[in-house]
Amino acid sequence: MTDPQLWISAAELGCFFGLLALSYYVVLAGTGFFNFAVGPYAMVGGLSAAWLVLEHGFELWLAVAIAVVATMALAAVTELAVVRPVQRRSGRSELPALVAVTAVLFAIEQLAGVIFGYTTLPGQELLNIQPITFGTSVILPSDLLLGIVTIVVFGGMALWVRLSRTGRLLRAVGDSRDAAALLGLPVNRIRLVAFVLSGLLAAVAGLLFAPKAGVSSTSGLDWALSGFLALVVGGTATVWAPLIGGLILGALQVFIPFYFGGPSLSYLLLVLAIVFFAFRPQGIFARRVRV
Amino acid sequence: MADQPLLLEGSGLKKRYGGVVALSDVSIRLAPGEILGLVGPNGAGKTTLVDCISGTQSANSGVLTLKGARLSGPASRRAKLGLARTFQYPQLAQDLTVGENLLLGRVAMQHGSWWRMILQSIRGTFWVGRSSDATVVEAIAEELQITRLDRLAGDLTLGEQRLLEVGRALGQDPVVLLLDEPFAGSDANGVAGIIDVIRTVQRRGHGIILVDHNVDLVSSLVDRIMLLDRGHVVFDGDPAQCIASPEMQRVYFGAAALEADADFETRPDDEVLRHVP
Amino acid sequence: MTMNGSSAPPPVEVAPPPRHRPPWPSGLQANGSLGLGVLAAIGLLVWVGVNGYKQTLLVTAATYALIALGMYIPFVLAGSLSLAYGAYASIGGYAVALISTETRLPLWFGWLIGPVIAAVAAVILGLATRRLSGFYLVAVTLLFSEAFQNYLSNASFTGGNAGLASFRNLDVFGWYPSNEQLIIASAAVVCVVAFLLNRLRLSPWGIVVRSMREVPSAVEAAGTRVPILNLVALAMGAGIGALAGALFTQMSGSIQPDTFTLNLVFLAIFMPIIGGTGTPWGAVLGALIVVELTLNLPSLHTSGTLLVSLGVLLIMLVAPRGVLGYLDTGRKELMRALTPTKGTDG
Repeated sequence: MTDPQLWISAAELGCFFGLLALSYYVVLAGTGFFNFAVGPYAMVGGLSAAWLVLEHGFELWLAVAIAVVATMALAAVTELAVVRPVQRRSGRSELPALVAVTAVLFAIEQLAGVIFGYTTLPGQELLNIQPITFGTSVILPSDLLLGIVTIVVFGGMALWVRLSRTGRLLRAVGDSRDAAALLGLPVNRIRLVAFVLSGLLAAVAGLLFAPKAGVSSTSGLDWALSGFLALVVGGTATVWAPLIGGLILGALQVFIPFYFGGPSLSYLLLVLAIVFFAFRPQGIFARRVRV
Repeated sequence: MADQPLLLEGSGLKKRYGGVVALSDVSIRLAPGEILGLVGPNGAGKTTLVDCISGTQSANSGVLTLKGARLSGPASRRAKLGLARTFQYPQLAQDLTVGENLLLGRVAMQHGSWWRMILQSIRGTFWVGRSSDATVVEAIAEELQITRLDRLAGDLTLGEQRLLEVGRALGQDPVVLLLDEPFAGSDANGVAGIIDVIRTVQRRGHGIILVDHNVDLVSSLVDRIMLLDRGHVVFDGDPAQCIASPEMQRVYFGAAALEADADFETRPDDEVLRHVP
Repeated sequence: MTMNGSSAPPPVEVAPPPRHRPPWPSGLQANGSLGLGVLAAIGLLVWVGVNGYKQTLLVTAATYALIALGMYIPFVLAGSLSLAYGAYASIGGYAVALISTETRLPLWFGWLIGPVIAAVAAVILGLATRRLSGFYLVAVTLLFSEAFQNYLSNASFTGGNAGLASFRNLDVFGWYPSNEQLIIASAAVVCVVAFLLNRLRLSPWGIVVRSMREVPSAVEAAGTRVPILNLVALAMGAGIGALAGALFTQMSGSIQPDTFTLNLVFLAIFMPIIGGTGTPWGAVLGALIVVELTLNLPSLHTSGTLLVSLGVLLIMLVAPRGVLGYLDTGRKELMRALTPTKGTDG
């Protein structure tokens, strides 16, 4: 574990997983609901930008803007057209919403395949500088950008949750929707903000990570699982917990296959998931439970 | 009654949630044919006690016996020993019919172990239709005056749902019946019906534990009353004595009220309101 | 699924009219659907004839239907969504393949042992995930599927990524069924499983399992150990899923680690919702619709799966009872129109 290049890869994966987990976290805090569609959101963010540039010759920054807005719109549609009506009908039962969000995940994947094609497209480099080399290790501009943006995003989220009214109300709404509605809080508006913000975060994650290994319409499912695991490992005690979870998962994803061979990773992830879900579903950093 | 062997006996029952003590060293006993009333304000630990007896929750410590046999483990095991219960918030499968919900109480015990579950699934696959259990369930429905078994349970009023839960519990042929606020939300007819059932079960020599806020109603029905306050048993004895006791005054109205007005009417007006869910 | 049997909410806050069903299953309810199902199967078999392409379609539809039927007990009745059915189908398929290539045992033994192994695997996975439900269960079973597929690709006895092929012919105590007979048998197996599951749904066992979805605490308090019943339901479902794998492997003559993909499992979740969750026949109808849309309509090409997924969302939002649910309502309306003297209060 002394090769710095491996650590750079681990940090890069960790930042990506952390951003995905944060995208989950926002919706979870506001709705008490895991939105598996954040993986496909990230895929749409990365893939649509690459597709606009490569296939239609769009200006890079215009393509990025369109991709981000499209992903946010997708998240808003998920909430308004699917999750909200299904939850309203099913009441306290979780299963219909779970099935609905699975259908959304699958539909976005298929839609992306039809629109953007089924091939893997290379992600677009957003930062045009020379790679930084020190010794035998190289930090690519995309790594650098991902790291910086991750820190800025998490810092911004921490401030938003603490300082803005919507941010502070987010948790109140997620804790008890009925109580929040009784108190006259704008539950529906806060939920919508949470979904749109989640779409924004996922789009950023997808855009920044796509240069690493490219992005295809089927990337979304794996990303959804990774983000979910990162959130479960990290916990929800603070805004920063998803990042810690992401970094741990990133390190495992890099070092386990390196030392134990490729297939060991999927076995380890299964064991990790079962152990965490069964024994510490609240994650490493848990919020103190009120009685 | 004192020389008869006890049906249900429990001692040293404790339950805590994190730092909050819900039950603190509670003892309980129930003789055959006895109706025990469990009263106390919100948060006194009534439902927690019922949960810990029925096994819906497990107590942190304490010993429970039913007819001398140790009561422990999951609720299903205790049900097989002869416990049946209803819930403060009716737990009915809303998508199933009234008849199917009643039948659940009758047949659930036939699915007690994994091999009986498999056996029952094979039996159910090859023999569909009216069983003897259906006849028993229809008799229970008639006794409780539950009509229209073809309705969906989700369409019933709260009072009807409570009656249905009592019917489901009766299907288990219980030795001890735990009723958690069976009257809340019921109209006069429903209350009368449930009281009839309680009397019938009593005549069979079984025991009943009855939880309710309404001290007047409970004390008119029960043989003995237990008053709970913040997890402690503060009174255990004759219903009439309980209503007049200083503990009762203190628990329900506070020490200040007790000093201010010794002749305070024991039934506050908002008692009725509490029954509106 | 709680949307099962519930109609769309009215626009204003008016209590919906009471819905009702016969309190005890009637013979018609338990058996009536079999006649329709067999008729439909015969119709399909006539349509297929000896056309090789159509035969493949029918076998695929039967496989899809069996996987969806495998999910019916745990998912639709008991309410726990597991995505490990690709792994269970693989177990069934590899059991047939390995018995054929590695042993001299009769092939039907592979058909028998596969479902048993899959059921045991489901119980072990169920024990490991016994505290999980909902989103957590979905995530763990997804990870299990990936890990299992990875294992099949890397183990030596499974033939790695290339998988296994060229099996012996199926013999049932000296009888070697022809290809056409096997095609008919596939349709028959689906009909029998759907028929038995429908009876199981209506039986006391079915009542306990269906109650477990909504009110587990009440079922437990009434005397059924809920976690164990959950495991039994999962094991039964896995067994039926393995049967699907055995069928497909036998008919296609080969199996690879990625024969039963995650896409297939997603589609299998949608099949009962499309066809109707009210009866297992809905899952069969859903499988036929999915095969038609994704494989048989060349005009749709690759967008068939998209159409299915969007269709599922639409059905969940506006028609939660699925196709069969609406056909059933239509039938009742028709019956009422034909017997006006009975009045409106059925």
